[in-house]
Amino acid sequence: MNVIEARNLGKWFRRQGLGSPTLLGSLPRWLRGAKPEGFWALRELNFSIRKGQTVGVIGPNGSGKSSLLGLVAQTMTPTEGSVETVGRISALLELGAGFHPDLSGRENVFLSAAILGIPREDIRKRFDHIVDFAGLRDFIDMPVKHYSSGMYVRLAFSVAIEMNPDILLVDEVLAVGDMAFQMKCLDRIRAFQRQGKTILLVSHALETVEEFCSDVLLIHEGRLIMQGDPTEVISTYLRQYMVRIGLLNVEEHGTREIEMRSIRLLDEDGRESATFRSGGAMTVEIDYAAQRRIERPVFGFNIKTGNGFYVFGSNTQIARVPIDAVEGNGRIRLRIEPLTLKQGRFFLSLAVHSWDHAVQYHRQEDLHPFLVKDASGDKGVFQLNCNWEHRASS
Amino acid sequence: MAILLTDLTAHADLIGNLVVRDLKTRYRGSVLGLLWTLLNPLFMAAIYIFFLTLLSRDIASQYEHIIIGVFAWQFTVQCINAGMNAITGNASLVKKVYFPRMILPLSVNLSALANFWLTLIVQWALLFAILAVTKHDTPRLLTLWVPLLSLYHLVFNLSLSLLVAAANVFFRDTQHLVGLLLSAWFFMSPVMYPLEMVERVAAGHPWIAQVYMLNPMTAILTAYRALQVPGTVFPWTAASVAGLLLPVALIAVAIRVFQRTQRAFSDLL
Repeated sequence: MNVIEARNLGKWFRRQGLGSPTLLGSLPRWLRGAKPEGFWALRELNFSIRKGQTVGVIGPNGSGKSSLLGLVAQTMTPTEGSVETVGRISALLELGAGFHPDLSGRENVFLSAAILGIPREDIRKRFDHIVDFAGLRDFIDMPVKHYSSGMYVRLAFSVAIEMNPDILLVDEVLAVGDMAFQMKCLDRIRAFQRQGKTILLVSHALETVEEFCSDVLLIHEGRLIMQGDPTEVISTYLRQYMVRIGLLNVEEHGTREIEMRSIRLLDEDGRESATFRSGGAMTVEIDYAAQRRIERPVFGFNIKTGNGFYVFGSNTQIARVPIDAVEGNGRIRLRIEPLTLKQGRFFLSLAVHSWDHAVQYHRQEDLHPFLVKDASGDKGVFQLNCNWEHRASS
Repeated sequence: MAILLTDLTAHADLIGNLVVRDLKTRYRGSVLGLLWTLLNPLFMAAIYIFFLTLLSRDIASQYEHIIIGVFAWQFTVQCINAGMNAITGNASLVKKVYFPRMILPLSVNLSALANFWLTLIVQWALLFAILAVTKHDTPRLLTLWVPLLSLYHLVFNLSLSLLVAAANVFFRDTQHLVGLLLSAWFFMSPVMYPLEMVERVAAGHPWIAQVYMLNPMTAILTAYRALQVPGTVFPWTAASVAGLLLPVALIAVAIRVFQRTQRAFSDLL
């Protein structure tokens, strides 16, 4: 059953100047008869979300993610099209919305519960639990204006997680608070998942999106670019937009005298994939085409993490597997086994250049993102082979 | 309309919480919080009585009219001013959480009503004292209907409140305009003078009295006086009845305007 369904959904915003609109300020425009200027924050969105799915929404800043949540939450009205929802919707967006600084923690718990649509009876029953969860037993009758910002957020969150909606909207909540707080957030989201709730999660934390979501929407400049399998959508997103975030410089250049026409990343079973098992195998297949005969070309690769850390690099020259010459079409296979990378996101660069490095024929910088999944509990970027020994001395 | 009502009753809990929040924060912090609410109309009335006595003994001798007028006028002003910020002052709520937006202006109007009922106690104490001293009389038994009339008065206040709440989202200088209109309206309503004065002024031009009576505030203030002060009557003319019934039409219009415009609230906040 679809619980969220968007049809040709669009949202238009008036472009606003500094400050707020005023009657006197608008007079000149009315006299000219000018139409207000604006822009489409979202346009022609069509998607549906089934009951019980956890769906991630990713995209660069300003792509329209928050507008989308606003439309689903009905705090905004679509300019065109429609979004239909089934069931009660709650949003874990703004913690402490409706808190009044002069009221005590206790009073604010009830007030904010009423705003979030939590029945009074539920809150009364769960009050002690809420206070203990926030760790504020000694301060609950103090006005919240005397709270530290941490206490404030903890109390707000403790109330917010008492919501029991059919559809939960989460917008970057995970970006605030310390580690312990984020863990609590994630635990709560897992609990919602177990109860079969539908969750729409907006986040820049792609790892989180990948871990939690069964489906991901990629939005860019107000358009739905892609919907589907998290790994696939996230890889596309990274390839296309990582360059904007500025950590990597995704680019392609070279004389193209030798051109890498098609690149395939193959897993252990020889299937094309973007996800690899730590300790498994990865094969990179490069189909090249040389415009003329070229002596002793060097094929190379390197792997970096998402934040630009250079993990490993090698080429046919260093590996002493020289290629005498290429002419016409051919295929290079690079097999990495065992793949000793740990859990995370990596970027593969490929290059082909001349023996003396003077001519760069074709270079693809950070162009091929892939993921490594790791079942072991070891931490880090790289697997080191370790052996523990223990010998009691007596 | 029926949908709106079920929507509002479904959120009765929230409305109650917001009214209580409003009252608590108003009276919290100092005992004077409550006292100021009572003192405010009292001081206003005292100022008008003092200066009107200087201007004309004729008007000022009717202290009871001024007391009733000022207290009721303050109720309307409070509703309009609170309504002005009902949406714009709760931007984060409006943008982030869904609930019928009308709850915000409605709850501030309800807390203003609770406030008005509190001041009524002071008003009645004064009326008893003034009537006893100046006319050796007591307020009418009909005074007991005043709370009911105040509910009708609230309908009028709420409709104005809804209109300014919505307008202020679109134009933040609405408050300046409304401030000007309020001061003109104050003199165009029989707040600090009795209705008979207008009748005397407009004696040569009957149409002026007709137009004057169309002002709902005139009808409401006169109704308050007719219920409480012995010897005053509500003038049952076509114009006065029209003025008295105007709030019914106004609330229907205000609700429609508010419902229409609320679609754009979160875009503009």
